[in-house]
Amino acid sequence: MSTADNMVEIRQVSRAFDKTVAVNRANLTLAQGDFLTIVGPSGCGKTTLLRMIAGFDEPTEGHILIKGQNVESVPAYQRSIGMVFQKLALFPHMSAADNVAFPLRMRRFNPALIPELVEKYLDLVKLGHLANRRPHQLSGGQQQRVAIARALSFNPDLLLLDEPLSALDKKLREEMQLEFRRIQQELGVTTINVTHDQREALVMSDHMIVMDEGVIQQSNTPREIYSRPGNRFVAGFLGVTSMFKGSVVAIENGALSVELGTVTLLARGNEQLFSVGDVIDCALRAEQIALIDTEDSRYDNSVSGLVRQRIYEGDRMVYEVQVEDTGGSSVYVFDHDPGKNGEHDVGASVRLGWNAEVFYAFPVVEKRVL
Amino acid sequence: MTDLPKRTLDRLPLRWVLMDKIEAFASLVWPAKCHRTTGWLFLTPALLLVGILLIGLGYMLEYSLHELDLSSYRLKDAYTLGNYRYLLEQPVYLQVLLRTLLAASVVTLATLTLAFPYAYVMVRTSSSAWRKFLLVSLFLPFFIGQVVRAYGWLIILGKEGIINSALMSLGLPAMDLIYNYGAVVFGLVQYMLPFAVLLIVPAITAIGEDIELAAESLGANWLRAFWHVVLPMARPGLVGAGIVVFTLTMTDFAMPEILGGGTTDFIASAIYDSFFQLSNSGLGAALSIVLVTLGSILVAIVFRITGAGTLSIRQ
Repeated sequence: MSTADNMVEIRQVSRAFDKTVAVNRANLTLAQGDFLTIVGPSGCGKTTLLRMIAGFDEPTEGHILIKGQNVESVPAYQRSIGMVFQKLALFPHMSAADNVAFPLRMRRFNPALIPELVEKYLDLVKLGHLANRRPHQLSGGQQQRVAIARALSFNPDLLLLDEPLSALDKKLREEMQLEFRRIQQELGVTTINVTHDQREALVMSDHMIVMDEGVIQQSNTPREIYSRPGNRFVAGFLGVTSMFKGSVVAIENGALSVELGTVTLLARGNEQLFSVGDVIDCALRAEQIALIDTEDSRYDNSVSGLVRQRIYEGDRMVYEVQVEDTGGSSVYVFDHDPGKNGEHDVGASVRLGWNAEVFYAFPVVEKRVL
Repeated sequence: MTDLPKRTLDRLPLRWVLMDKIEAFASLVWPAKCHRTTGWLFLTPALLLVGILLIGLGYMLEYSLHELDLSSYRLKDAYTLGNYRYLLEQPVYLQVLLRTLLAASVVTLATLTLAFPYAYVMVRTSSSAWRKFLLVSLFLPFFIGQVVRAYGWLIILGKEGIINSALMSLGLPAMDLIYNYGAVVFGLVQYMLPFAVLLIVPAITAIGEDIELAAESLGANWLRAFWHVVLPMARPGLVGAGIVVFTLTMTDFAMPEILGGGTTDFIASAIYDSFFQLSNSGLGAALSIVLVTLGSILVAIVFRITGAGTLSIRQ
């Protein structure tokens, strides 16, 4: 089943440490030129997986194939992989140009061609004019660019990014996300990015994997994962999500009727996973909830609540609303046009509405595929 | 808003009250406007110590310019460069000097070569048991002291020592393991190792593990990563350790005395002999001045080449 089109193929890879299993039977395939982001909370195993691909660590089980070749016995320095590290790991005793030239020298490129390649890649990251600066003479963003140029100058099969943007401030980080994407698309280099920043995962990738507790929870396009979370963890991890506890009262025509507190609402879920009476969690994203005045037939579900907190965020207003009907749990609601919709004071009673198709029901006891 | 409890003096812990009183007293004695000079105040004792050393050095310089009057065994009043001329004329002093410098170079090289891997493993090992073992092994000799340690080596390496006894019980001829140059160098390397390791450790700690992984992922095998990345980045620590080991060796007295047994005198031994055997303080002072000058010049040259940034000092 191995095809040469796949740049990376990971088959049933596990990595166990003394007491913990950092990565548990991970599978993934990545086509040439794809940009994959692995996202998850810290300790979810994403960095361990990346280190095994880079060759700094070995799987205790399973196989890693790069270009169809099993790389188990290939040391890191013989793999054709460029990596950008979290702390960048630039060589402080070398100029930017020497940093970029380092892999070319180590990999024994023709010395006559090295200056030309260094120039090309420094230009690619728009640093041609700073070639002779040492890393400590460059700003954070510029160091970032040197690290990218160094990881790419030898034209590797694969580029690995180990949360290199996490240390930057928000504005620079968002700028660099687009910059990474531009460079990746310009060169067409297959890339695996690891991050705990869900926005980064959504913005940058063709393909996205959500990991938790060493297990790949869901693997798909960012849009598909965000709009159709596969389990409770993914639903809670992405976006600003409120959870309701309840039970199934009826299943009909592909829709679930769920009882939450004193109300019965419509939710969406995989029918095969449920039977009447099951205890469930229902996930609802803040941007899917509308603040409505009275009963509004456009929404399948509506409940009333009290505003507990109101936070002005410039481009939107965030309300924390305590919903008595569903047992007093709080939900977050975004209002992206507070000027038009009118503001609600703390303590005011409001009505919330949302549709069944954005109200995801998940079994409470998650059955992980092990 | 709930009311915060009122601050009352009797509610505060005694230690706070005492500290407040001391601070109040201190601000009377040393008002806030004097605080700018506090740093200098604390510097004074150290400056005094260095100053006293300089005065002593001045006296030495003065002594070295007077020759010994053999009739009274006092220094003559007349100023002369006679002592320095004497040092140049007697080949034995040049020999001692060269022997000292050679030993210092060999010991420095050997110590750094042995200390670097020791420091590296101590920093990088993932086993804390190993780290502790290496650390304890490093510090243990410190508690013993140089002279006792040198005698320890006598017991092991001496004519009738442990090694020779073992050789003879095997029917092999005894070896001269002691009272020679090799023994002195050996003893000195063993003595200097902890100093060097302790000075190199921070330099290696400063090299993030990511840096080595980065070198590896960029195509450098272990040897190239070591040569192109680790070694250049550890240079400040190596130079610092080198200077300390070199100067300590150059001025060492106990090891050449005990393990050399009079066969391998260093400059310090010659200075000691001039003062206390020949009672010629002028000559001893001249030798001391030569030693100080030589040491200062060598350290100055190293700093000139590597930059004072070696000691992490801003330039």
